[in-house]
Amino acid sequence: MTNTLHRQGTSESLKNDYVIFAHTAEGITREGSAPKLQEFMKICLKYDPVNIGDGKQGNIHQDNIDIQRLISNQGDGAGAAAVFTDLNTLQKVIEELIKADLGISINISGLLDGVQQCCRNAGIERHSVEHSLGFWDAKDRLPEREILEFNTMCGHGMVSFNLIRKMIEYVKLRRLTPKKAAKIMAKCCECGVFNPLRAEMLLEKMKTGQR
Amino acid sequence: MEIDKKKCVGCGNCHAVCTMGVIYLDEDGKSVVNQDECVECNTCYRVCRNEGYWPWLVRGIRKVLSVFRLGYLAEVDVCPTGALTHGQLVWPRSVRALFSDPTTVHPGTGVPGRGTDEIKTNDVTGRLRKGEAGLVIEIGRPGTGALFRDIERVTMALAELKPHFEKENPVTQLMANPEIGKIKEDILNEKVLSAIIEMKITLERIPEFLHALERIQKEVDTVISVGVASKCLADGTIPHEQWVREAGFALSPNGKTNIGLGRPLFQED
Repeated sequence: MTNTLHRQGTSESLKNDYVIFAHTAEGITREGSAPKLQEFMKICLKYDPVNIGDGKQGNIHQDNIDIQRLISNQGDGAGAAAVFTDLNTLQKVIEELIKADLGISINISGLLDGVQQCCRNAGIERHSVEHSLGFWDAKDRLPEREILEFNTMCGHGMVSFNLIRKMIEYVKLRRLTPKKAAKIMAKCCECGVFNPLRAEMLLEKMKTGQR
Repeated sequence: MEIDKKKCVGCGNCHAVCTMGVIYLDEDGKSVVNQDECVECNTCYRVCRNEGYWPWLVRGIRKVLSVFRLGYLAEVDVCPTGALTHGQLVWPRSVRALFSDPTTVHPGTGVPGRGTDEIKTNDVTGRLRKGEAGLVIEIGRPGTGALFRDIERVTMALAELKPHFEKENPVTQLMANPEIGKIKEDILNEKVLSAIIEMKITLERIPEFLHALERIQKEVDTVISVGVASKCLADGTIPHEQWVREAGFALSPNGKTNIGLGRPLFQED
């Protein structure tokens, strides 16, 4: 989750990619946070996120994960995350979170202008912002842009370059559907910040040789 | 991570899942992990579901199929025989999992992952205040990994500028001497998926630090992801933007926004 800000892609593609996460601070908001994190997840769930989870328990695309159990097992912890694919829905989630007044920190990774507009529409002004200055140094060790678009959708970089290549190849060979291939990639990302719908859309394009 | 050769059938599924690409097929047709390069992220173990088949059965089926020039195609995200095993790691190797496996809670930070709360809780902690900037330098990401020896090169070069290294950050906690950015000797040859250096500086020093980082990056053979953060002004303006642009660097259109719903809100004097 740490570096969801480094998500790569065209502005068009990033328009479908917003990660919202609740985070608690030890000694300030962590103690007694379980019901607040549960409420955060319930609110997110109402708006059909394409992914939801937390670093401890995993995400809804992993084997044997039941979302209701994941929510009820949520204890006092660092946080939880959900992914949405449009600003209208994101705004509704923000509005409901403001109303719920949970008192835990809420962050959003995504196109900054869009997120700011959402905040303003909901009647608040953003508090702090972190920008990516991109990748430096041995860039010759990095694969092509398309692979990085998938890889950076996991904040911890758990979706390997080789798995992404394999999934692209399997989709092109029609051994896997883009949906199934995207789900396998989402399984690698523990925290649930990978966007399987965006991955599916990228794979659909690649299936027919588009870039 | 280790692979039980008595169980492995050489399907190769774990090879692709490996974040470092360091699992390969040995001479005997069974998979093996390059232990020097493995970062103990445990992704192969978590993602490749154990199907629980008997190894002799899978090997037998594969042999029969190969007679007819047919292949055995296991599902992509399974280990047919549960051959992947991870044992108890001891120091200094255990540091690999602390930085590479997001399910491992770092004892120093109390949070899973390789960084700290940074701006994620800035609304309640006030870690970054008016006139301050946070520099977040992630070494080894995306997908290349890093040795602590390389990480130390960067911390030592930046320490010369006397930054305030975030004391709760896992890399800071592994420094033998934060004044000079020296990392503990016994972990220098350990490899991790990535490690994050976090520091606080004043806004006007952003160009100085970015240019220093630009110089040192040439000395490490890995990738560095760089982030800059600050607390917004009352009208939502981002103070660090001006300084980053003045230094000649481009800002991403996307990023992370703390929307300020944490309570009690930190009040500056």
